[in-house]
Amino acid sequence: MIDTSEQVQQKVNHLYKSHYGKMVSSLLYFSQSIDLESAEDLVQDAFTAALLHWREDGIPSNPAGWIFKVCRNKALNKIKQGEKVRGFFENEDFDGIETKFSESPIDDQQLKLLFACAQPDFSPKVQVVITLKYVVNLKVEAIAKILAMSIDGVDKLLLRARQKIRDEKILFTEPDIFFLKYRIPIVHKIIYLIFNEGYKSSWGKEIIREELCEDALLMNKALLESGIGNKETAALHAMMLFNAARFKARFGSEGELLDLEQQDRSLWNRELILYASKFMSDSQGGPISSYHYEAAIAYLHCMAKDFRSTDWISISKLYHQLLENSPNPFVEMNYAIALYYSGQKQKSLDILHQLQQKPFLNQYYLLNAALGKINLLEGNYSKARTYFTKTLQQTDSQLEKDYVQKLVDGMED
Amino acid sequence: MENFLLLIREDVKKESLVSEEEFDANIQKMTKWVEELAESGNYISGEPLKTTGRYVGKDYILSDGPFIEAKEAISGYIFIQAENINQAAAIAQNCPEVLDGRVVIEVRPIIEIDND
Repeated sequence: MIDTSEQVQQKVNHLYKSHYGKMVSSLLYFSQSIDLESAEDLVQDAFTAALLHWREDGIPSNPAGWIFKVCRNKALNKIKQGEKVRGFFENEDFDGIETKFSESPIDDQQLKLLFACAQPDFSPKVQVVITLKYVVNLKVEAIAKILAMSIDGVDKLLLRARQKIRDEKILFTEPDIFFLKYRIPIVHKIIYLIFNEGYKSSWGKEIIREELCEDALLMNKALLESGIGNKETAALHAMMLFNAARFKARFGSEGELLDLEQQDRSLWNRELILYASKFMSDSQGGPISSYHYEAAIAYLHCMAKDFRSTDWISISKLYHQLLENSPNPFVEMNYAIALYYSGQKQKSLDILHQLQQKPFLNQYYLLNAALGKINLLEGNYSKARTYFTKTLQQTDSQLEKDYVQKLVDGMED
Repeated sequence: MENFLLLIREDVKKESLVSEEEFDANIQKMTKWVEELAESGNYISGEPLKTTGRYVGKDYILSDGPFIEAKEAISGYIFIQAENINQAAAIAQNCPEVLDGRVVIEVRPIIEIDND
């Protein structure tokens, strides 16, 4: 039976989404003489070929295998055209690899590629984009959307990364065991940044964002299971799980943003919190990293029965230690907020006002939102209104605007 | 991790032609970039600089300096930490003001003095 053109298109789209990154990475691993750019071209070609042939002949019984074989043949041709002919693919068991593809969403190959993306020569942003493209398998459009970049911007960033890979002969290969250890901190950072992107509330309840958190968790789990991970990996895992446990409660029935105080804590996933605690105890006994502090903060939030009985004193102490570990004004802001709720109101306001003097922070919507909220709680409505007005101008997210507007409207009554 | 100073240089005359809205939009973009750098643990601190100041040397006590003549002036600095000079340069390359072609950034490693 010949499949309709529409069915073929659908099948190819589906395969492209699920297999593109894996096919590119497979080509990179099977032959060192294929660089990233040509691997991508080959896979693109193979998908185009599938679209054309399947319309004529119907979809084959093993569609992924079909495309993979075309990739292999095209790669072989490419290698033969070069000066050196090396029989890279001759002894490989492709059928074995194809079944491996479908078994698990994450496999060693992906983990290897994750380590390859953790290039200390790229900026963290570029590392994240490359990982999202080649390990998580996202399209440029999706990456642009979730990182709030233009499609053109992502394209340019990838293009520059490819140029750099070519010009500086950066090998996208699995680093040896010594190198692997050296790259673990960067791998952690990439996973952490991807999780954060997924977690940021400003985007609302978009499925793709939750998927990012899941991807980060899957990659980290693979890292733990591979035996390469360390105590920090466990701490990072605990931190992500504690936060993921609260995911469902962050938005109201209308999809509106709910702050920690308003959230229905019965919606928090108890099993996940319990599961996270296991990783937290696994993470003990080594040096204490930023992930340990963040995990402990998230743990204390999860353990609190309600907003008021939260252990704000311990949380503010943990933020203080986090600051000692890696000083940064954005963490300082969270420290000040925790201080306010722990009762140290003057110290909190002093820090927030000091932060306002910093060039980038006074343009930062969350700082103005925090100052607005604190003034609201203190009954200084006119000051609160001024800060909220600034916040409204500084965020583009409709969800956040609605949230702030509600606070402003609440003061009118 | 090593420390680097990013010196932001821009065309002073062009900058004075920018509208207030554009200026605000640019600052928002920079704030987002700095927030990302803080999240990734690279950002340490940063300040904008006025593009005029004083110039001192042995033979001229005070002057408004040669920089007032210069087309480009240092308009700010950002202090970061990065894995190596390549990463520091890649970070600077992704600064929104650089991407839009409004500034150039000079990336200078800080010399670490061994106390041992």
